[in-house]
Amino acid sequence: MKKRLELLLSLILLISIMISGCATQDKTSSSQKNEADEATQKVTIRLSTWAGADEAKELQAILDKLNSQSNEYEIVQDSNPADYDTRITTQLAGSSGPDLFWVSAQRAAQFASKNVMLDITQRLAQSNKPVANISDYYETSLSPFKYKDSIYGLPWIEQPVVLYINKDLFDKTGVSYPDSSWNWDKFLDAAKKLTIDKNGKNASDASFDKENVTQWGFTLNGWPPVQIFVWQNGGDVISEDFSNSPIDSPEAEAAFKFYADLVNSPMVPSQQIIKDRGFDTMFKNQQVAMFMGGAADSLDTKVDFKCGVYELPCGPTGIKATLGDVLGMGINAKTKNADVAFEAFLDLTDAIHQWKVMPPRKSMANIDMMKKLHPDRADALQAIINSMEYARTYRYFENYPDWDNIFSTQLMDPIINSHADPSVLIPKVKPQLDAILKKAAK
Amino acid sequence: MERFIGPFERWLITPVVLIAIAIMLYKLLRKIGWRQRQATGLALISPWLVGFIIFTAFPLIYSFYLSFTDYSLFGSPKWIGLSNYIYLFVNDIEFWPSIRLTLLYAAFSVPIGVIGSLLMALLLNRQIKGIGIYRTIYYLPAVIPDAAVALLWRWLFNSESGLLNYILAPLLDIIGVGKPDWFGDPRFVLPAFIIMSVWGIFGTNTVVFLAGLQGVPRSLYEVAEIDGASVWAKFWHITVPQISPVILLQVIMGMIGALQIFTVAMFVRPTSAAGKFMNQLVYERGFTQLHMGEASAVAWVLFAIIFALTLLIFRSTPAWVYYEGEVKR
Repeated sequence: MKKRLELLLSLILLISIMISGCATQDKTSSSQKNEADEATQKVTIRLSTWAGADEAKELQAILDKLNSQSNEYEIVQDSNPADYDTRITTQLAGSSGPDLFWVSAQRAAQFASKNVMLDITQRLAQSNKPVANISDYYETSLSPFKYKDSIYGLPWIEQPVVLYINKDLFDKTGVSYPDSSWNWDKFLDAAKKLTIDKNGKNASDASFDKENVTQWGFTLNGWPPVQIFVWQNGGDVISEDFSNSPIDSPEAEAAFKFYADLVNSPMVPSQQIIKDRGFDTMFKNQQVAMFMGGAADSLDTKVDFKCGVYELPCGPTGIKATLGDVLGMGINAKTKNADVAFEAFLDLTDAIHQWKVMPPRKSMANIDMMKKLHPDRADALQAIINSMEYARTYRYFENYPDWDNIFSTQLMDPIINSHADPSVLIPKVKPQLDAILKKAAK
Repeated sequence: MERFIGPFERWLITPVVLIAIAIMLYKLLRKIGWRQRQATGLALISPWLVGFIIFTAFPLIYSFYLSFTDYSLFGSPKWIGLSNYIYLFVNDIEFWPSIRLTLLYAAFSVPIGVIGSLLMALLLNRQIKGIGIYRTIYYLPAVIPDAAVALLWRWLFNSESGLLNYILAPLLDIIGVGKPDWFGDPRFVLPAFIIMSVWGIFGTNTVVFLAGLQGVPRSLYEVAEIDGASVWAKFWHITVPQISPVILLQVIMGMIGALQIFTVAMFVRPTSAAGKFMNQLVYERGFTQLHMGEASAVAWVLFAIIFALTLLIFRSTPAWVYYEGEVKR
């Protein structure tokens, strides 16, 4: 028995040694890399992003330029869109997280309140670089990264939701293009005229056949979010002091009703059709005449018809509002190279501001500079820049995902998918939303 | 400057440490008087034990502890006692519908799975030409990963261009009903998932039943035939009792698996008006909302449900499960 045990042990050791021979190359190459780094004294800064193949390639070009210009850092990207949120959360909870990472506004608000991202308030104040000048940023874009007067990250994009229209379909029907006088009524009017059945009749016609629609004026499936319309009517879904959800105010209820009516109207395809044919695909395939999308969606460059980009229609009382979708970057609070990471962070943020539409900086929101950076979107830029003035973000707080879960599953999902009546649901859901806000306040 | 411990060195440490533990365990056990055979046995399974303790037992106990805390993965857990459980059972609007949905799903999909795979196994339990090929083909579903299958089902269930509605269309026209929006209409979500669970009929379940069927002695059938038993009588009075331990295994494993449905639900993303399965709640509470304590509590409630149901099934076994050599009382 003893002999057998010895045999077994020696076998295991033998196999380990054999495998060690195979793995030697990795060992030497990684130690060589370390020596190279030491020679040039560049710190490796790991960046985690959700970029897919194409975006990652463009990002790599930017990183190569930054790395060649710096003798302090070497940014290495780790881009993988699959399950990004869960992965980054687990990585940051452990000790093997990246130094820099892209983060959505919602996650940023969560992380900022839990000390996951490095507090950069002091560093920003002491830096001379223009990108570190906080007053140059739109307040909307900074708010997810702030927690109790400290800043934990910087946004690299704030894209407002704008109105994309199919100019060819507008021309065919004789509807005039949107202008600054467009409000909800004018918008609905245009949508009706642009909804056409198989006999060529539009939705404002008495003999309109809503069972056989071939072209719809607009499309809605939960996007654009109802908050845009609530804001345009002067209401809000979370109060400014985070104490309650005023979804039962007359302004908010009217906006919900507008939204629900629009979802159920003949001007918008049924949810079934939208799911089957694809939400934005229907716009690209010219089955839908108007589409509200993010400015960075760049639909005007991706379609083969004449596509115009305009500001959203304003509310019934003339209020202009749109959603500003904010994405940004943070530094891992556990990073071992905070100073170098911060410099890399600033340079990269600046570089991305030149890359994406729209940068969240007021100094860059002028038409000439943007036209130089993005000549392919020259016609769209004015509307986008105008939208930045009144773009808002959701009121993120520590337990926002809990609030959003109830808002989506108990209120919005039934309105969109089950023809629910907002005036019946709102009184039921408001106490649940208020309860979450109260819990978070404790 | 940190000492650079490369990945290979870290890899080598593991087997060395495990072997060291095994040897030390052996010496320790011998010292306290264990016989050589037993000491060797325990020492040799110690690597597995170490893995089990680190990756299964410890997380199990830790998650039970976490269910009584408020923990967001960042910072340390804060003890809050039964608050999570109270919140779930009293204040959480999604919790009870989730239990209901999960139990309903198991209640339908397990019998369908067991009966279906038994029938399939009966069909494959013949000595006809090419039966090997058929068995291989019918085992293929077990090889395909869950995520790919879920995407395929999402495509099949597409209400306008999916295959399922295409086949059903003539029938629906006769009844005068429109094409169901399988994942968009809350009424159709549970039926859709139960149809998808049909997938579970093939693959491993059928193979297990096949093995069980082939263990039934031929002589029993021959005797029954002499006595003039019908096909149904042979099936009900010989086959079923003989393979009842296998049926028990399939029912229990099927139920445990059905109650933990996750991958398919996450990929297919049905309308949330239909409710969410319990494991979906665990994922959402844990990773999206960063309430790890609450997520652990949901997971432990699920465990309690599975445990209770499994006990119930075991309690019922004297009535219908016959082990070899037993006689009906």
